This record gives sequence, C-alpha cells and structure tokens, in this order.
Amino acid sequence: MTEVPPAVTQQAPAARGGGRWRFLRRRLLQAVPVVLLIVTCNFFLLRLAPGDPASVLAGEAGAASPEYMAQLREQFGLDQPLLIQYLAYLWNVVTLDLGYSFRYQESNLSLIAGRMSATLLLMASSVLLSVGFGMLLGLVAALRRDRVEAALILLAAVLAYAAPIFWLGLMFIVLFAIKLGWVPTSGMVTVGAAHQGLAHVLDVARHLILPAVTLSLFYMALYTRLMRAAVLENLRMNYVVTAQAKGVPPRRIVLRHVLRNAVLPLITMAGVQIGGALGGSVVVESVFGWPGLGLLAFDALHARDLNLLLGILSLSSVVVVLANLVVDLMYSVIDPRVALS
Amino acid sequence: MATLHLPPALRRFLRQPAAVAGALVLLGVVSLAATADLIYPGDPFDIVGRPYLPPFTDGHLLGTDTLGRDIAAGVVHGARVSLLIGTLTAVLVTAIAILIGGAAGYLGGKVDDALMRFTELFQTIPSFLFAIVVVAILEPSLETVVGAIIIVSWAPLARLVRAEVVGLRSREYVQAAIAMGMRDASVLGRQILPNALPAILVAASVMVATAILFESGLSFLGLGDPNVMSWGLMIGAGRAAIRTAWWMSGIPGIAILLTVLSINLVGDGLNEALNPRVAVGSGR
Amino acid sequence: MAAAYGNQGGAKMQRRDLLATMAAIGLGATSGARAQQPAADARGNTLVVVTTPEPTVLTNAINSAPSVAELGTKIYDGLLEYDMGMQPQPSLAESWEMSDGGKSITFRLRRGVTWHDGRPFTSADVAFSLLEVVKKFHPRGPGNLGPLRAVDTPDEHTAVLRLEHPYPPMMKGLSSLEAPIVAKHLYEGTDIRNNPHNNRPIGTGPFRFASWERGASITLEKNPNYWRPGRPYLDRIIFRFINDPATRAAALESGEVDVAFFGTITPAEMRRLGALPHLEIARGGYEALAPVMLMELNTRKPPLDDRRVRQALAYAIDRKFIVDNIWYGFGKPAVGPISSVYAPSGLFTDDVLRFDVPDRIERANALLDAAGYRRGRGGIRFELTQDVGPYGEDYRRMGEYMRQAYARIGVRLNLRSTDQASYVRRVYMEYDFDMTSGWYVGMGDPTLGVQRQFVTSNIRQGIPFNNVARYSDPENDQLWAQAAVEMDPAARARIFHAIQRKLVEDSPLIWIMEMELVALQNRRVKNLITSALGVRGGLYETRLEG
Repeated sequence: MTEVPPAVTQQAPAARGGGRWRFLRRRLLQAVPVVLLIVTCNFFLLRLAPGDPASVLAGEAGAASPEYMAQLREQFGLDQPLLIQYLAYLWNVVTLDLGYSFRYQESNLSLIAGRMSATLLLMASSVLLSVGFGMLLGLVAALRRDRVEAALILLAAVLAYAAPIFWLGLMFIVLFAIKLGWVPTSGMVTVGAAHQGLAHVLDVARHLILPAVTLSLFYMALYTRLMRAAVLENLRMNYVVTAQAKGVPPRRIVLRHVLRNAVLPLITMAGVQIGGALGGSVVVESVFGWPGLGLLAFDALHARDLNLLLGILSLSSVVVVLANLVVDLMYSVIDPRVALS
Repeated sequence: MATLHLPPALRRFLRQPAAVAGALVLLGVVSLAATADLIYPGDPFDIVGRPYLPPFTDGHLLGTDTLGRDIAAGVVHGARVSLLIGTLTAVLVTAIAILIGGAAGYLGGKVDDALMRFTELFQTIPSFLFAIVVVAILEPSLETVVGAIIIVSWAPLARLVRAEVVGLRSREYVQAAIAMGMRDASVLGRQILPNALPAILVAASVMVATAILFESGLSFLGLGDPNVMSWGLMIGAGRAAIRTAWWMSGIPGIAILLTVLSINLVGDGLNEALNPRVAVGSGR
Repeated sequence: MAAAYGNQGGAKMQRRDLLATMAAIGLGATSGARAQQPAADARGNTLVVVTTPEPTVLTNAINSAPSVAELGTKIYDGLLEYDMGMQPQPSLAESWEMSDGGKSITFRLRRGVTWHDGRPFTSADVAFSLLEVVKKFHPRGPGNLGPLRAVDTPDEHTAVLRLEHPYPPMMKGLSSLEAPIVAKHLYEGTDIRNNPHNNRPIGTGPFRFASWERGASITLEKNPNYWRPGRPYLDRIIFRFINDPATRAAALESGEVDVAFFGTITPAEMRRLGALPHLEIARGGYEALAPVMLMELNTRKPPLDDRRVRQALAYAIDRKFIVDNIWYGFGKPAVGPISSVYAPSGLFTDDVLRFDVPDRIERANALLDAAGYRRGRGGIRFELTQDVGPYGEDYRRMGEYMRQAYARIGVRLNLRSTDQASYVRRVYMEYDFDMTSGWYVGMGDPTLGVQRQFVTSNIRQGIPFNNVARYSDPENDQLWAQAAVEMDPAARARIFHAIQRKLVEDSPLIWIMEMELVALQNRRVKNLITSALGVRGGLYETRLEG
C-alpha cells in the first residue's frame, strides 16, 4: 500500500534531554502564527458566505418584520464594518471569548467545551482501537505469514480500507443494532435513564462501541499493513539475525526491538489520524447521532452561526498542530536516533 | 508458444493476482459507466416503478428506492459520476502538486521554505471539515465539490513530489545536465520528472480512490450536486428507509467499496511493478 | 524466521479475552434495554414529549418559532381558545360582545385567576400584553392586531379593545399561540426582549415552569391554582431535546418518550412506528395553523410572467403522488391558497380551476404551446431552477419528483439546494430565483396568514415570508381589503371564494399539499388533541392511562 508521506520526518544525529524542551518551546512558538493565519483565513472565508445569522433566525421564526431583522443584526454586531468585526474577533480569540450563540443561548466556549468531551472520547477510543488492533493484527499477519490468519487479516484490511465510513456505520447499525439488538442504534446515553457512576459509564460505553469501531477501521487497516510491512522488514535486518544467532529468545527480540522499530511509521500516521479525526467524526457523529463537535459544526454551518463555526475550525487546527507536536516527541522517545532539530 | 514481449513493468504487474483482479473489476466498472446510456437509457431520477421494491422484483434487478426509482440505473449512472470526479480531481491535484512540489524541490532555498510553509498550512486545516464549509458556502455543485476536494488534497502529494525531486536532483545525470547548461525547465521536464513519475503515478492513482470516497461523503451529508445521481446521494436518500429496506443504502455502498478496492489493488500493483523491491522474506 | 514464536498463543489469548469482554458488555447490558411500559410506569403521571430544536426562549409572545410555541402555550393563556372547527371558546375571557360596527369588542374577563407567582390577573395585564408586547414584538403581531388602537380597562375584569376599523380576523388570532397574555408587573418598564422571565416564565396557564436543563430537557409542573377546576390531569410535562432523528424514534419505540411532535420523526418512520401495537398517530390539531406546502414563482421573470406558463406548471404536478410517496399520506392535495381546514367557517371553496383533471398533461402542453414556448432540441421548451426549501430531505425528494414531472411537459428543472441563510438571502433579499419550495401557515384566518403572500403592500424586499412572488393585482388587493373588514360572515365567505377563484386562475404560487402536522403518541396518552391548536394547546385535558 502506498503510504501518504507523513507531515514530519526528521532524521539526524541525536540531541536529547534539554534539546527536547527547546524543541518544544520553539515548535509552540512556531505554531502561534500558523494558528493565527488559519483563524484569519477562516474568518474571511466565512464572512464571504452569503446570508447571516439574522436571516436564519428570521427564517426559523417563520415571519419577520424589518424592525425585527434590524434588531437581530444589531444584536449580532453585524452592522459594523468588516475590519472592525475582524479586529474584534481577533481580540476575542486571544482572550478566549469565542462569542455567544443566540441559538443555543450559551457562550460558544462552554458549548464547544461541552461537546468536546464527547468528540474527544470518540477520537481517543478510535485512535486506541486503531493503533492497538493495528499493531496486533499487523504483528500476527507478519509472524504468521503463510497461514490462513494472515490472509484473512489482509483481506479484512483491504476491505476496511476501501469502504466508505458512513456506509459501514449504517450497515453496522442495521446488523448489530437493528437486526441483532446488541447495541443501541444511536446517541450517547439512553434517553431518560439518568444513570450515575458506573451505570453511566457502562451506558456510554455501550453507545460508544459502534461509532468508535466504525471510525477506527480505516486507520486500523492502514496500521495493520504498515505494521506487517515494517515487522517483516525489520525481521530481515542484521540485528535480528545477530540476536538470534546469539541465542536471544525470539519473544524478546520481537518485543524489545522489532516492535519498537516497527511502530515508528504507525506513530507518524497516528498523528495524521488525530489531526483528521475531527473531520472524520462529522460523518460518524451524523450517522450515529453522537453529540460531538463534528455535528455541532455541521449545525453551525447551516445556521450560519459563524462565531461558533470559526471557533470549532480554529480549535481543530490547534488540535492538528498539537498532534503533530506530540507525534514528533513520541517519535524521538521511541527512536533515540531521531533528532529534534 | 510464442513469447509476448511485454515491458518488464507490465510483466511484474501481471504476476500479482490481486492487482490483476483489481484491474479486471475496475475495467468492469469503467465499462458500466461508459455504457450507462445503453444499458439504462434515460434519467436515473425517473420514477419507473412502485417504491420499496426489493431486488429481483418486477424486472428491477436491484429493486427500487423510496420514490420508485430504479436502483440499478442509479448505480450504473453513479459509476460515471464517481469515475469522472475521481479522475478529474486526481489529474488536477497532480498538476498542482507537480507545479508546487517540483518548484520547491528543484529551486530549494527560500522558495522551498516559502512553498513548504504554504503547503504545511493546508495540511494543518482539517480536511473534511474544511471541504464541507467550502462546498456549503459556495453551494453544492459538481464544480464546487471537485474544487473543495482539490483544495484539501493537494498538499500531501506536493510534499511527495518535492521529496522525489530533491532526491533526484542530486543524481549524477541531473548534475551533468545542469553543468552542461540545460535550462531549468528542461532539466525538470526531461530528466527529473520522468524518473519521479512512477512514485507520482502510484500516489495519483490512490488519489482517485480518495476523491471518490470524499465525494460520496459530501453527497451523503447532502452537500453533493442535487442534479446528479451519485452513489453517496443514494446512500443518504436510502437512510430514511434503513430499517425496512436496508438494501437502498447497502447496494450503492457496495459499489463504492468495489470501485475503491479495485483502484487500491491496481495502485498496489503499480507500485510493485514500477518500484520493485526485493521480495520480502526471499532472503531467508 | 516466522517459525516457532511461542508467544503467538499469548497474543491470541489476549485478543479473545478482549473480544469476549466487549461482547459481554454489549449483550449483558441489553437485557434491561427493551423495557417499554415498566420505564413509563416508573415515571408516574408525567408526560414525556420529544421536540426539536431546543427553544431559545420560553415566551412565545416575542418569538413564534415552533418549539417556543409548543412550550409557551402550556404556561400562558390567551383571551380565547378555539375548538376543532376554529370557533372561539372562552379562555381568560368568559364572554365578549361587539359593538360600534365591530370597532369595539368588550371582553369580560374571568375572575379569580392568578399568575404562577400568586398575583392576581387583571385587565391591565391584557392591555399591556396586547399593545406593548404582542403588537410590538411578536413576528405576526402587527398583522394579528393591526388596527388595534387602544385597550380600555374600565375595571379589573373588563377589557375593551378599540379598533381603527372592523377587523373580524382578529377574533381568530387571540389564542395562547398568537397573543399570549403576559404579566404586566413583570414586564412593564423592562427591556422586554431581554427580560429574565423570558426564560423563567410566569403565566396563568395549566403548567408552571419548573426547570431547564440546557441541552437536555425542560420540565413543567402542574399549576395547582389553575382556573379550570380539576385540571390539568397531568402532574408534569417533560420536554426532551434529542438531536438525532434515529434516537428520537428509538426513544418513542422503547417507551422512554410518550409523544413525538411533528417534524421530529421522518414520515417514513412515522408510518412504520404508527403501525406498532403500542403507538398510534394523533390526527388533527393543526387547524389553527392551516399549513400549506407550496411553490413560489417569480412572476416578474420570464417565462413565469405569463399566466399560461404558471398554470401549465400547476397542471404538470400529481399532488396525490407527492402526498402518498413523499409524505407517506400525511397530507391532502391542495386546491388553492386557502386550506380546507377553513371549511367550518365557510371560507373555503373547491369551486376553482382544478389542476387534477385527467387530461392535465395535455392541457399543460397546450398552454405552453399557446404561450409561444415550443419544444426545441431534446424536446425542451425552457429551463427553470428550483430553490429547494431547506426544511429537510423530503423537500429534496419532492424536487427530484418534479424534475421528472416537468420533463414530461418539456421543462428542464434544475435543483439548487442551499442552507437556510443562503436561501433566505437569495430568495427574499435578492429575488434571485425562478421557483422555490416551502410552506406557509395560514393561521386562524386567511387574513392573518394568507393575505401577506398576495397583496401589493406586502411586496417588501428583504423581509422573509411575504409576497415574494411579487404578485400585484388591484382587483385582488381590493378583495383582500374588503375581506379584512367585512363583518357579515356570509358576505365575507363570498369575498374569499372570489379571491380563491382569482388566485388559482393567476397562479402566482403553486399549491401542492395541505400538511397534516400529526403527532405520534403512545397509546396510553389520551386526549392529546382536543382543539384546533393540537399539541400547541394547554394539554389540560390530557391524561395517561394504564
């Protein structure tokens, strides 16, 4: 499988310890102008959009008089010149005031924070599933190369890589939720149940299974193939042959060395996965009714709630930047040969 | 037995069963798309039967949807749309990637830095979300969908091209050409790019599959061109009836699966054929 | 190298365990999930309703959005209520009489009514609400209470409405839906739009506001001092907001929710759920809204400026097909601008130009030929673009059907789907459209909701939901003006019949379907729909059984 070139790959003589902190600081500083630029682009892009929130609210009310619309516009600050709106927005972003949503009647920050935990849960579990099972299945496929298991795993991987996520989600719902009744069809909690403590955790877990699995399959397939290829390649390398000749037990070779090296490409792709997870979650959240940021962004777009949408877009850009950062750090931790230049 | 003198790359390709299978399926999809007007003449949006008919009833091979439209007609015409969008996107993205990645890799220095910052910017924007925003703002149509996909997909390919160009630039024959005074454009066009072509080709073929998945996702969310019958639109339309007639969403999805799968397999095959590696495990 | 790796067994074992655990979580926890009645019984005398979207305020005096209206009407009362035939019934007003040729209406108000905070309800509240709140802030206020000049309050239980001219439609717009009475002592002298009581409402209605859990639910509890003895029967009503349609349907099916209002569940699902043994469809209760689905045509843009073309477009559509296959029977083909729900008042007539005749396609083709639009290449006469109403998937399906229907008469229809904001801007602000699809509410009387679409004075660019077709006809304007002030019901009916005949002839709009905004309810719910307001009523007669 052709790999998408990773966003960051730096190989050079090592520099450890304090170098890591310096690297971190420098990267964070570099990230600031990037994020700012993205925020600016988003702002002007959305302002180019036809229509404004006042039209939407008027449309939803089913009727409007000119006074009503003017009042709404004033409330949203839409009667100011564009530059003023931009500067006001920049200042708000810096002070973490992402605006107020008249539709939801709460501050955008708290709206986003509330939905963010749902999306983070979904993202985290899907990444863990992808990486975990990807590693496992890839390892099995490499070590059991000539057996049926390997062929089946590869077949499943190739299918999972080609299937559209939303369709898989729908088919899973049909099979596991509707026909078999093993899991609920949608949502995050059982309506009206108001569970507490452990019951609540289990309730959420039940609802999480299908969406998390669906979201994880694409990258799981990718990781399986990457892992398999990487393990196979490592197994041919000199250090493995030497270790075997020396009598080191095979298990130790695999766990200590092969695994460590083989996992590197996975880590890089995991960074890409996390970065793109928000976008992927829009579709999955839509199919499963998962109350997260993706769905909120979709609603915000339709309601022309530009502040909210801007907040979400900017936030996810920040997530991408941070994810890349974390990936670079983890890379250097796992492979000491990598320099954080 | 007469020996066919096939180019070595093609021979390598044909030696892989998975790649051949993929190529055959792809051929099938392309022929369906090409003959769509012959097999199912007319508009796939036409209401031709009772709604909710299951497959194999009343002459409808794959049944009818909630309005009574023939699903098989939709699948066949949808193949056209998917292949068209996929190929068009891949071609345009490749062109942009070659332009930007090539320039960055060849010219190096400040130009390289600037272009790479620019590319990084696009890689940082969450792609699907941004595509949704762009299409919704500019109103869903074939043009805006293709445009949005291009905007969010060109960056990784540009990086690939740049990496290839950088790698090839230091080769002896390229250095020799430069020393001989060959113009930059010629060096790029005659010496470097042809050798980078295999890698670019493989990545571009994968791009077709990615574009198809992207477009179907957008159509599913209701952001596709409403005048065009696409697989994503069919899946979205069938969602209302998922409990009683799951095949309305199921069948078009299988179509996407098979098409994307075959493209991926062909891409893998191309990779093996054009960039042959020492077979893994052969040196035991 | 791939031989002899003993740990493979170990890795496999882990995987099996993990899978087993996951399966256990799924299977074990489902045993409690299918309970239907037990979950409902545990709630006691509480009605659980699902609606969408979550309202932004709870006072429908200043906001007419559907979910706000659904909630506000349980907390507030109006002067009047209406039975299933839209005939006025006493509510806060016990009796009323007209005088001065209809320019003065004296309402005798009910005694002993108190606000939820204990203060007494008086005529001062009525005067304040109508003049300072509804007329100024309700989106339909200026229309509903147009000629209202003053409200005299000779004593605490009498309110005299003084009008500039007679205005019979007003008597159909005084419900808790259109003109709820709010408390003067809470709103006077405040910024009405931002008054905190918009979110913590105090009314005179059968239910009191109890709590609002943002993003989840709103709870209303019984008003023990309600002026109707023995009512309401319910102890509580809980409104749940569930964003996802599938989850809503599942909640209704499992019994977690008792009632689903129209619009929360797709028509296809409604049919399926309504057939289940423990659920049923609650019909009626939308007469006070008189909703009609229609298409607006840009009458200033060729070829739509030719009446023959518009009529042809009206002939080409099979309304019955749309009702049956896109809306699953939840509607009735429309014959004109005025819905048949007005029939009890005599205002409706179907004696108009009919577009559902057997030879309608031939007629359509003939009209287009006569108008000079012959078939050209590919059999196409001309192209049109339809801006699909951003109200849901069903409108897109309808657009797709119309593409085919219009192809039969040689018109190529292109669909354009946009989100709400773009739609409003393109259609209402810029008049950049050929035809739209959408729906209008006629409300209690045609003058209140239907007139705004057809009178010249309501061609106001930039304001949504008005005369966007820009239809302007002096005779039509005159008829509407007469209908607004005609006090004799029989004469008024005759005027409206004339209006209908003329409008259908001119067809500035194409009327498709009278919408039946049904609700879906659990069979244990009784008396949900008892008036023309349906689920937008006070629900004080509603009971739970079993």
